[in-house]
Amino acid sequence: MNNFESSIPLIHNSVNIMTPFLLAAIGGLFTELSGMLNIALEGLMLFGAFFSVVFTYYTGSLFFGVLLGITVTMALSLLFGSITLYLKANVFITGLATNLFASGFTVVLAFHLFGNKGVILFQNLPELPKLTIPLLQKLPLIGDFFINHNIFVYLSWLVVIAAYLVIYKTPFGMHVRGTGLNARAIKSLGLNPRKYQLSAILISGFTCGLAGAVLTLNLGAFIPNITSGRGWIALVVIYLGNRTPMGVLIASFVFGFAESFSNYAQRSINIPADFILAFPYLITVAALIIYSMWKHYRVEAR
Amino acid sequence: MGLRRKRSEFFVNAVGLLITLGIAFFLVIILIFIFSDEPGKTIYYFLIGPFINKYYFGNMLNSAIPLIFTGLGIAVAFRSSMFNLGGEGQVYAGGLAATVVCLALPFAGALVGISLALLGAILAGGVIGGLSGFFKMKWDTEELISSFLISAALILIINYFITGILNDPNSNLLTTKPISDKFFFLNIFPPSRLNISIIFALLTAILVFFFMFYSKWGYEMRMCGLNREFCRYGGINTAKYIVIPMFLSGGLHGLAGSISILGTYHMCLKGFSGGMGWNGIAVALIARNNPLAVIPAAIFFAYLEAGAKAAMLHSDITFEIAAVVQSTIFYLITAQALYNVVRYRKRAEA
Repeated sequence: MNNFESSIPLIHNSVNIMTPFLLAAIGGLFTELSGMLNIALEGLMLFGAFFSVVFTYYTGSLFFGVLLGITVTMALSLLFGSITLYLKANVFITGLATNLFASGFTVVLAFHLFGNKGVILFQNLPELPKLTIPLLQKLPLIGDFFINHNIFVYLSWLVVIAAYLVIYKTPFGMHVRGTGLNARAIKSLGLNPRKYQLSAILISGFTCGLAGAVLTLNLGAFIPNITSGRGWIALVVIYLGNRTPMGVLIASFVFGFAESFSNYAQRSINIPADFILAFPYLITVAALIIYSMWKHYRVEAR
Repeated sequence: MGLRRKRSEFFVNAVGLLITLGIAFFLVIILIFIFSDEPGKTIYYFLIGPFINKYYFGNMLNSAIPLIFTGLGIAVAFRSSMFNLGGEGQVYAGGLAATVVCLALPFAGALVGISLALLGAILAGGVIGGLSGFFKMKWDTEELISSFLISAALILIINYFITGILNDPNSNLLTTKPISDKFFFLNIFPPSRLNISIIFALLTAILVFFFMFYSKWGYEMRMCGLNREFCRYGGINTAKYIVIPMFLSGGLHGLAGSISILGTYHMCLKGFSGGMGWNGIAVALIARNNPLAVIPAAIFFAYLEAGAKAAMLHSDITFEIAAVVQSTIFYLITAQALYNVVRYRKRAEA
């Protein structure tokens, strides 16, 4: 450890690990509320991961790199959204298409640009600025949330707050939620439900672009399929967070914590790497089942 | 009237499909012009490559075999409106199960060994798929997500076994020991790897067709797929038709894996099944979930992959270009608006 003191390293790491989940899940929350299960999160995130690091490399600027990365990701979400909504295609299939396209196209492009289909290391990338929030870091237990994290971590908190405000305090948010609850009612108000669904998809493109940028810029490298299922886990995070921004925040932390815990476990006990990699999927599927059990019995008890 | 409508629906589907494929091919040609330094050569190998010799042609047909099984598996699930996104893991598990059975029974006769290997693969895939169905039945767990997550975890765990305790120390490949050659399927088109299992695949497609359209189970399954509430009202045990299609779908995926092991690879290589599950979805969609149409759809998909492989070997493009074509097909294949355009055109003419 260098010049900072994190009281509980486990929590400090969890906060780092949770950020991509949190960002992707917040975007997914918008599409979920507008009545669509967005399985394209994975592909959008992968697009964001690839293009953010590539543009940062070529422009030499973090700001423009991330901005362009997010723009390209939003363009892909626009393609996904307009085919789904205006060509009336099945949203699951177009979601799969987006994932397949992202995983194929990033490799084709990586091969074309760098002549390499494996891990691409980027030299001389600008370093991610790290921040500590002076007063809050002194807080017991949650102090670790505010010490020496990279800028994306704080950006993701802002995204959560913004999402909360947009979803609950603006007419736009109300219309998005209304579209999910009853698209016909929205139509009867003279509004266009597809407009709100497309906006939700674009928002998910924005947050997934950011989530992807976190992955590659943290690492300074691009690995094919670097997202490795995070988009799918983010979908489950939305459910576990009971489809609210604050719930999503808590659920992402739980996932971040579980993954950071499994990293520690790996160091102390000798667990094979493949099992460690399988662990996030296993806890996610367990969480999904427990969630559905809880929901099932709650409805039954009523 | 009924027949005429049916025929015109067929026409609409066919034209819609042609438009989709046309756009996909158009895109790939544009991409080749962008990414290749010798686009003419690349396009030649992409389109003609699979037909230039017996070896490529036979291998193309051979790689269609597992796609027929996975396509059938997805068609069965989709017809029952169940989403099985765990195909990748189910194929892999089926392949591992078949390999383990063959390795465990070195002294069994060929017929017994092969039957047990196939059975083991069906059970392995079926149980994995059925599990998602079971969760759905019991607690309404989204099978779309659970099947994907279970399969993703399984792939990693199977990797562990293949590179760990089952690994063949005498091989440089990450693989299990090879199975005994008496279990190999008969090669019918040397020098390619095309083998007798293609007949088995065709028979399975016919069997699934009759099961889905001419049996009580198949009928009830399809009806549940159309409207589960209505079926419950009509006295059909709808809970049963959540688990059964997922089990059958998983079983057919498992079969795809075992056929590839016994017919093509003869050992369980790490990641041998990559893509078979996703491609099965595309195959089923192109075939409009019709078990017989799965056969040409699978061959078409095998052609796409073989073309991309030939272009990679003989020119300067990477194999992943196939994924771009495939995703274009995915994007447009369910696009209702595309088909409606054809439909209205036709109506306007009449």
